[in-house]
Amino acid sequence: MSKNRNAAIIGSGMSEFSSHREDVNQPEMIHEAVIEALRDADIALEDVDCLLHGNMELFEMVHQPDMWHVLGDGARGKSGLRLTTGGTTGITLACAADNLVASGLHDVVLAIGFEKLQEGHTTGGITNMADPLWGRSLQTGALTGTGAQKVIDEFGEERAKLAAMKYRTIMDEHAMRNEKAHRRLRLERQYIKETADNSPPLVGELRMIHMCSQSDGACAVVFASEEKVRALGANPAWIVDHETVHREETMVFGSMLSTQRAAAERLFARAGIANPRGDIDVFEMYDPSAWWGVDWLRDFLLLEGDEHLKMIENDEIVLDGPFPVNPSGGVIASNPIGATALVRVAEAAMQVRGTAGAHQVSKPVRRALASGFGGTLWTVLMLLSKEKPERRVNTHG
Amino acid sequence: MNDAFVIEGKMALPYQYFAGAVGSKFLVALRDEKQILGVRCSRCGMVFVPPRQSCERCFSALTEHWVRVESTGEVTGFTVVRYAEPYQPKKPPYVLALIKLDGADTPIAHLLECGDPGRARIGMRVRAVFAGERRANLLAIAHFEEDPAGTQEGHSPARL
Amino acid sequence: MAEETSVPERIVSRQVLAIPQRFSTGPVMGRFLRELRDHKRIMANKCPKCGRHQLPPREVCAVCHVEATGWEELPPEGAIRDFDVVYYASPDPLTGETRQVPYVLCWVDLDGTQGDAPLWHLLNVENLAEVRRGVRVRVVFADERHGTTEDIRHFEIIREEASPGAGTGAES
Ligand SMILES: [Zn+2]
Ligand SMILES: [Zn+2]
Repeated sequence: MSKNRNAAIIGSGMSEFSSHREDVNQPEMIHEAVIEALRDADIALEDVDCLLHGNMELFEMVHQPDMWHVLGDGARGKSGLRLTTGGTTGITLACAADNLVASGLHDVVLAIGFEKLQEGHTTGGITNMADPLWGRSLQTGALTGTGAQKVIDEFGEERAKLAAMKYRTIMDEHAMRNEKAHRRLRLERQYIKETADNSPPLVGELRMIHMCSQSDGACAVVFASEEKVRALGANPAWIVDHETVHREETMVFGSMLSTQRAAAERLFARAGIANPRGDIDVFEMYDPSAWWGVDWLRDFLLLEGDEHLKMIENDEIVLDGPFPVNPSGGVIASNPIGATALVRVAEAAMQVRGTAGAHQVSKPVRRALASGFGGTLWTVLMLLSKEKPERRVNTHG
Repeated sequence: MNDAFVIEGKMALPYQYFAGAVGSKFLVALRDEKQILGVRCSRCGMVFVPPRQSCERCFSALTEHWVRVESTGEVTGFTVVRYAEPYQPKKPPYVLALIKLDGADTPIAHLLECGDPGRARIGMRVRAVFAGERRANLLAIAHFEEDPAGTQEGHSPARL
Repeated sequence: MAEETSVPERIVSRQVLAIPQRFSTGPVMGRFLRELRDHKRIMANKCPKCGRHQLPPREVCAVCHVEATGWEELPPEGAIRDFDVVYYASPDPLTGETRQVPYVLCWVDLDGTQGDAPLWHLLNVENLAEVRRGVRVRVVFADERHGTTEDIRHFEIIREEASPGAGTGAES
């Protein structure tokens, strides 16, 4: 990985996340996030060179929504790109923004992710991404119980179910401290079992309570070059590196590639991270369900056996714990899908910049990790740091 | 041997689009009062029709500055639609025109009825013909028609 | 304008958007779908490098990135590798109509499959307690076939006492 220059996040903004935003249309909702991001970065629209815009295709069935959204997003007269890579869209926007700034093409880039899930049919939209020649009529969006079954098979029903609901409850405890979060349920630890049993089943052991929400919302993040950071006197969260891993199979069987583990291995090797749990201070994970959140923790942190379950059982992942996961409440709390993976990056940056307010973790944050999930089990990882990274020369050709 | 062939597919899903507070006020006035509302940017001086929450140029909030514009205006551009599609508002040939209403700075797109489509021209004076039964969408105006007597003289939008 | 006294009306436009589509199968999926339609044969393709099957077939081996040029017929029988009992009523994107629940989806290792290439389809089963991994199932083909996913009607559980072929074709 070589960079011409460093890029940093210097501001972010989010609309309120909610199941319904009848009070605003799409560009108006996006405008809320953009205004907040510009204010947070203490810059004006004139300072922005390039806008990146992304969401899920088909979810609202608006062709080229970036044309309409110029009304609210500030793109008029500016350079821009539209990106759409499924659930990973938000963090792909962040990777692209890093590339555009680090390459020297632009000094200040504004990345915008949004979704108004209330305006379409989420599961129907995802189903239409399935191969039209085979299996589209069998697809049920992104809903499957096989992720839950995998954990149950390995660790037994009782321990697995308790771990998933403990994880779910911790996410809710975090969401209760994040005023922007959509689902804030005030779950109580002593009623974990009853909460799960009373929740409607979706597929197999995956219940409504385990699953991510369907939210309306937008997120905007300002990326700037190191020269701009200096000139503006900004409070930066530096981008160390990012990694994307794709695959084509829609399910996990046998020896198939774990994109979570593969992305983590490559990124950590380049960044010199030997002990992820010690070297990284906070992790904003794209956790589409509590079951996948539990399972992927092991892969992302390169753990073995039941180390990831112990982290949950021992309260290590809570906001004030040694390795906080999703201080924001994560995707189970708020999921405006095209924005969701950008929210992970924005929240990780807020932790580095110390601007997360009531859900700022108590330990000092030197490095933060953000992940995105999408497509056919794709992963994108981004590593941020408080300290400006040294620029490295490309070593792998 | 080429085994390829074609299979029929279909994509059908329910959608619902929210006009928001600003869009709703515009559509309700159109439906209930036969009035066309816009907003003025106090920094740029532009009057936007249909109204919007913020100015795309200077990013000012606009919703404090509602105005009522005229239902007469001028054609600033047009095209004659001659091909048939299942999703069109009417049978071709018909004229789709950009119409700048008197008092507005931005044009709206709408149907123009002027007899022979060949008669359409830029600068033509037109007036809105409201539908008898109106719903809260842009077709509360059925179409625009030629307004030969109309002149464009010093229309300033009425402040609300 | 009159003073607004009540909660302002919020306008929403509701619609079902439907788009007709035509998809080219290409030669590889075309062969797979033709064999299914014309001969009730399930054809997987095979990677010349790693030997794994791909079902449904794809032009290129997803692992080795070489053209998967080999073809092999797999039998319409196998064991359940994994399954989903679906309780969530989602719309069928082909029609926009809501599906009946619960229903069972399963991934079946057809006998002789090399690698991770289970065939995915519905499982027709009355008693959900019977659905387990490893259960032997067979493909039930549709009577009328058009070269689509629906050329397979569903899988059904193979019962020891039943004579071979019973339950195929005719509706149970
Ligand atoms: Zn302005
Ligand atoms: Zn191979």
